[in-house]
Amino acid sequence: MRQAPMRPRTIIALCLGGLALMILLPVLVAFVFGYIQGYSGREPDFASAVPWILAPIVAGLMVTVLVVTLVWMRTIDEAAREAHKTAWFWGGQAGLAVGGVGVILAALPQASAFRAQAFFDVRDDPAAYMALGAGLLVLLMTAGYVAAWAWWWLSRR
Amino acid sequence: MNNRLKVLRAERNWSQADLAAALGVSRQTVNALETGRYDPSLPLAFRIAHVFGQPIEAIFSE
Repeated sequence: MRQAPMRPRTIIALCLGGLALMILLPVLVAFVFGYIQGYSGREPDFASAVPWILAPIVAGLMVTVLVVTLVWMRTIDEAAREAHKTAWFWGGQAGLAVGGVGVILAALPQASAFRAQAFFDVRDDPAAYMALGAGLLVLLMTAGYVAAWAWWWLSRR
Repeated sequence: MNNRLKVLRAERNWSQADLAAALGVSRQTVNALETGRYDPSLPLAFRIAHVFGQPIEAIFSE
């Protein structure tokens, strides 16, 4: 499928829009989450409803991110796309492999004495541990992704 | 895979940016193609052939 080359003005507008989104979105999310957190502290009834309020907000954010990614993916050329596909597969795979060691070790009975929350300042309950583990795995996969992407792209410039 | 992109471009006095604009890709992609570090997709190979007015097999070889 042939893609018409984008005009410089379109590229600049997309870049500025993306930059504004990157700055404004975290501010907006932090504000909403902070407000909900603060309000739920004052109103116990409201606190029980927080998950039901946050779930659609977070789901909406995820859909927005997917749409933005889709639009952005269509603006880059095939080599750039290939770089991201390779980075996702190999970098993500490498991150998963490293994280997998931790997952297997954490499943051993000997790991019961290990208190991860002491390092990361999180709650000491199963859901918090699950979120922490998933977060660390995503972090490792992202690190692998960035490293693999940098290698692919920089070696072909 | 080998290609004659650099030669064909030089014959026309085109810069990598010129060729990139004609193909609708980035200059980095043209550079990666010319140095043999990236093999184009079939649609891009057809576009390259069209831009240079030559059949694909005259530009790319094993």
